[in-house]
Amino acid sequence: MTSSPVKAQAAGTDGRAALKQFTRALGVAIVLLVIWRVTTVGLAEGYPVSFWISQALNGLVLGGVYALVALGYTLVYGILFMINFAHGEVMMIGGITGFFALQFAQARGWMEGPWPVVVVALLLIMFVGMAASVVIGVTLERLAYRPLRQAPRLVPLISAIGASLFLQYSVLLIFGVSPHSYRKPALISGGLRLGDVFIPYTGAIIFVTSILLMLALFFIIQRTKLGRAMRAVAEDRSTASLMGVDVNAVIVVTFMLGSALAGAAGVMLGFHNTVVKFNSGFIPGLKAFTAAVLGGIGNIPGAMFGALILGLIEAIGPSALGIPTEYKDVIAFTLLVLILIFRPTGLFGEVLSEKKA
Amino acid sequence: MTALLSIQQVTKVFGGLTAVDSVDLDIAERSITSLIGPNGAGKTTLFNCMTGLHRPEGGEILFSGRSLIGLRPDEIIDRGVARTYQNIRLFGRMTALENVLVGQHLRLQASHWSAVLRTSRQQAEERAAREFGRELLDFVGLSGREEVVSTNLPYGDQRLLEVARALGSRPSLLLLDEPAAGMNPSETDSMMDLVHRLRDEKGITVFLIEHDMKVVMSISESVAVLDYGEKIAEGTPEEVRSNARVIEAYLGPEVAVQEAAVKAVH
Amino acid sequence: MPLETATGAVRTGLIAFAFLSYLILIGIPGRIGGPALPVLALIAALFFWLKLRRESNEPSREATGQRQDSFDDKPGWEIGPRAASKGSRLRDLLHTHSGTAPILYGLLAGLTTGLLIAIVSGIFAAAMGNGIAIQPVLDKIVPLNVAALIGVSPGQIAQSDVSFIRFIFQVLLFAGAGVLAGLTAAGGGYGLKQAAFLDRLTTHLSGATLTSAGRFAGMALPFVLLAYIAWLGLPGVTAFGTNEGTVRLLLTLIATGSGLFTLRLSRPGREQMAVAVLLGLGVFSMPFILDQFQNSVMGLVFIFVMMGLGLNIVVGYAGLLDLGYVAFFAIGAYTYAFLSAPFSSPYISGLLILLGISPESPLLGYWMALPVAMLTAAVGGILLGIPVLRLRGDYLAIVTLGFGEIIRLFMLNLGELTNGPRGILEISQPALFGHTPVDVTFGLLSSQGWIFLLALVSSALVAFVATRLNESRLGRAWFAMQEDEDVAEATGVHLVRTKLLAFAIGATFAGMAGQLYAARQINIFPENFSLFVSIDALALIIVGGIGSPAGIVLGALALKGLPEVLRGVDEYRIVTFAALLVIMMIVRPDGILPSARRRIQSPDPEEAGAAGEPELREEDPGLRENGEALAKGAGVREEDP
Repeated sequence: MTSSPVKAQAAGTDGRAALKQFTRALGVAIVLLVIWRVTTVGLAEGYPVSFWISQALNGLVLGGVYALVALGYTLVYGILFMINFAHGEVMMIGGITGFFALQFAQARGWMEGPWPVVVVALLLIMFVGMAASVVIGVTLERLAYRPLRQAPRLVPLISAIGASLFLQYSVLLIFGVSPHSYRKPALISGGLRLGDVFIPYTGAIIFVTSILLMLALFFIIQRTKLGRAMRAVAEDRSTASLMGVDVNAVIVVTFMLGSALAGAAGVMLGFHNTVVKFNSGFIPGLKAFTAAVLGGIGNIPGAMFGALILGLIEAIGPSALGIPTEYKDVIAFTLLVLILIFRPTGLFGEVLSEKKA
Repeated sequence: MTALLSIQQVTKVFGGLTAVDSVDLDIAERSITSLIGPNGAGKTTLFNCMTGLHRPEGGEILFSGRSLIGLRPDEIIDRGVARTYQNIRLFGRMTALENVLVGQHLRLQASHWSAVLRTSRQQAEERAAREFGRELLDFVGLSGREEVVSTNLPYGDQRLLEVARALGSRPSLLLLDEPAAGMNPSETDSMMDLVHRLRDEKGITVFLIEHDMKVVMSISESVAVLDYGEKIAEGTPEEVRSNARVIEAYLGPEVAVQEAAVKAVH
Repeated sequence: MPLETATGAVRTGLIAFAFLSYLILIGIPGRIGGPALPVLALIAALFFWLKLRRESNEPSREATGQRQDSFDDKPGWEIGPRAASKGSRLRDLLHTHSGTAPILYGLLAGLTTGLLIAIVSGIFAAAMGNGIAIQPVLDKIVPLNVAALIGVSPGQIAQSDVSFIRFIFQVLLFAGAGVLAGLTAAGGGYGLKQAAFLDRLTTHLSGATLTSAGRFAGMALPFVLLAYIAWLGLPGVTAFGTNEGTVRLLLTLIATGSGLFTLRLSRPGREQMAVAVLLGLGVFSMPFILDQFQNSVMGLVFIFVMMGLGLNIVVGYAGLLDLGYVAFFAIGAYTYAFLSAPFSSPYISGLLILLGISPESPLLGYWMALPVAMLTAAVGGILLGIPVLRLRGDYLAIVTLGFGEIIRLFMLNLGELTNGPRGILEISQPALFGHTPVDVTFGLLSSQGWIFLLALVSSALVAFVATRLNESRLGRAWFAMQEDEDVAEATGVHLVRTKLLAFAIGATFAGMAGQLYAARQINIFPENFSLFVSIDALALIIVGGIGSPAGIVLGALALKGLPEVLRGVDEYRIVTFAALLVIMMIVRPDGILPSARRRIQSPDPEEAGAAGEPELREEDPGLRENGEALAKGAGVREEDP
């Protein structure tokens, strides 16, 4: 800002390059620090290999759940370029509704029946949770987002924050503060023991179900007419509408798909963590968003892999770095910040940009 | 005449596409130079390289003998190279006068503390800045429009306001990116008049991209032609007009051959 | 009545039912008590009336018989152009035979709502009467709530003593509400007239035209209120007999808020100056006349005013959406706590010994700690600002949110430094010439009054600095950056410096606020610095009007002050506020008192056309001059590589 040419030139030669170099050096320093920490502290603790394997499996399970939620963020972002901040709450609603469905099933003794009955009942519970999430997701879109589609980007984000708070505290007022605890049926409460590695059934089920749901979504988007319309709207909304695509309908369907996945995640997380309460969607929502950003927001495979990577890091990170597990949220948020600083397009960002170019 | 701006072997590549390919160009002080070429020829990219929006892969850009390569946009405008944009980019919610005041931003010295305390020096500077801003608006023909929010200005006036904003930084070289685009004939005439007055009254060297050949031929002292990122011709408007490669670039090879045949007949 | 209007009425009734059931589920009837049912019916009537008014102003989907499939579905509040464009059958009905149609519409909607409400409450009552507990599932469905809903005593429910007459009564009440709404809407366009009057009134309040008598009357309001508040403070005087403390607080809030409108009403120049001085005197006398409780609330309000003004620099002026603003508030509070509380972490005392200061408490007084707290917060602002320099919009919001959470998690888990969840206790109070303010003023100023006074002074200072900066070249640079970052840089704005200045100045103000907050709270804990502080601060500037200091004060009064008055409904605070946030975004995204500059002027249709034209006109000359050689798409290569 100075008019002195000498000073300006001095500043100029550093300028942006210096900042870039600084961030690059910072990145290298952080990587080195992590490696040093892992080798001197984490590995020095001498945990057995089986410990690492079970942690990694835990991470994959968590990652599967994050992936389902992250897909909702990515789908909506891909089409509307807005962050559906209330998506974590959509998941929570699924979890709460799933809890009541489970209560209903347990009161009728379905959970103690022969295994086909239990499986069907569990599927029904998940379906009910998904349906509730879909209703909330679509209502959200209709009431809080649609009127703001032409507004500056800040406006829908604030509306989404409002919606997120509204949903959380409505659930608090309606269903109370105390957590609702899922009681696992006997069929899925045990686990599989392979040597020293213990795999809980719920974990395995969650992982497999997540993968199946993601494949279903992938099929819908890549192979159906609906998916083609969604991709067209994501590419260019006004052109798509000129080509006869009902943009509003596509947006509603996008919210439905994202919410259904989130609802499934909510129910499964309920079974896995055994409790749900009014704010239990918030932190997983943020994590899932992190995962979506990690994989490059708007990019569907990116969200899946980003979520799995985040789950793994969160599960292994604290032990590997030799820090208390309370810091796992710090690790996730730090990762988010670092990714956005060093690679704003996400780990798989190129895929998107090549497609768009 | 000495060259105020010297572009030497500048190359800019996007992915696999070479948008600007080893372009050499000298611009004399107090001259009016036009850069023409078909759409996509790399004209705006060259402007972007000169104003720091892009960093060229190779070559050198010297302004008053010193390199502009690697400087930030705000440092380049501080050196005295200001520009306007092909698709008007005003600060939409600001008034016309505020736009010009932002243009003067880097010429104002008062510290932020003095702004809080409203020292007499800072107040005097602000008054002078407003006065200068009004003068500039008057110069481009926008007097009386100072307090109009810039998105509410008619299209032609928005182009003029962009010029006034660029003038706020007291540049010695002004880059105009299609100043007459989308204007009606009378607006175009006044824009041409403005370009002349910029040079004659303010002593500013003007380098402009333009598609309107009437404008290019009547105001420029020299013309450079880009096609597919390469400079294919340079010279006075008459020289460029009769250059076979230029005709080919604009109208396609067959037409060029026909033109040559016609010329041969005559 | 045409069939499509009938289905419309039923749908309106269903929506009203959905909304009322929400109110019932969160326990509103139990809170209201006896008059719960009429209140709900009135709410329904209001909704029906609004719906009738809206539908009579715009073409409804049923009436035009087509779906709104365009994606730029405009919000309903843009009544003007729509009303003119197409006719609505309902509107025709309203205007031609302005008799039965709207009343029938209201009746039908009211019947739908009433029937459903009666059935649902009947089911609840029956279940409770038969000893089935609903409460473990739906927390607020307790006998008290249901009893209030059907207008009986809780005991009657327990004995299954709820008659069918009650059911009929409920249905009829809502049907009556619907008829009332219809009558109001149909009564010779009375509703529309009234709406027009309300619209005019709002224009007047925003300072357009008002006869001078009315203007002066309006301007007198805050002063009358202030006098009344002072009078209420005299011994032995009560307002309405009971609950004097809350009434006085409410009056204080209204007086301060209306004072801001008064400033807008007054003519710029000498008149405004005089009003400002008088208002200032009035407001600054408040800490002396209010009691401890009222002062503590007002102190909190003005601490949040400081926060809002600081965040406004980052969000409103520079356009950088920061959701982790609480981090700087926490830094300010904890810095002061470290320097003034008996608790001392080994790290801090080690550092102090290194600096040659004895780590005995209290280390630094409020005034000595002030620059330290501000500086620490500013450094924090710069440190957090550097990495996010390249980020824009939503990404910035999420990263800053992450930062805020990281800071809180560190406070919670770094027990050795921050004492973890146990917090830091016994933070010392700001002194006045080495004495407590109560001593110096002979008891005139309570300890909370002193905090309020400090908050007022600091807010005034912060507002002054922020406004002056905004009116300087720095403010213009911020605004330019907000409008178009690239062009701002190419016009000579040093982006790094300008952004970091915004972060640092915003953080400094938050640090000041945090320090005062720590002094007010005496004990601070990590939970005091959750994400909700950031959201509160953001919400108050949005509700008040982004970029406008007066709006920020109003926002803080509404969001931090009013809930204290409505202590009884505290549990509904966040829900109400969250719903308001969404509604506000839809209805009035510029805030209640927007700054003149940020308001997006709606240009005349002709001018809008001219401004919208460039894209079309731009290709024109090229095509004209250069013939077929110009492919339309080729321009993309140059523009956006």
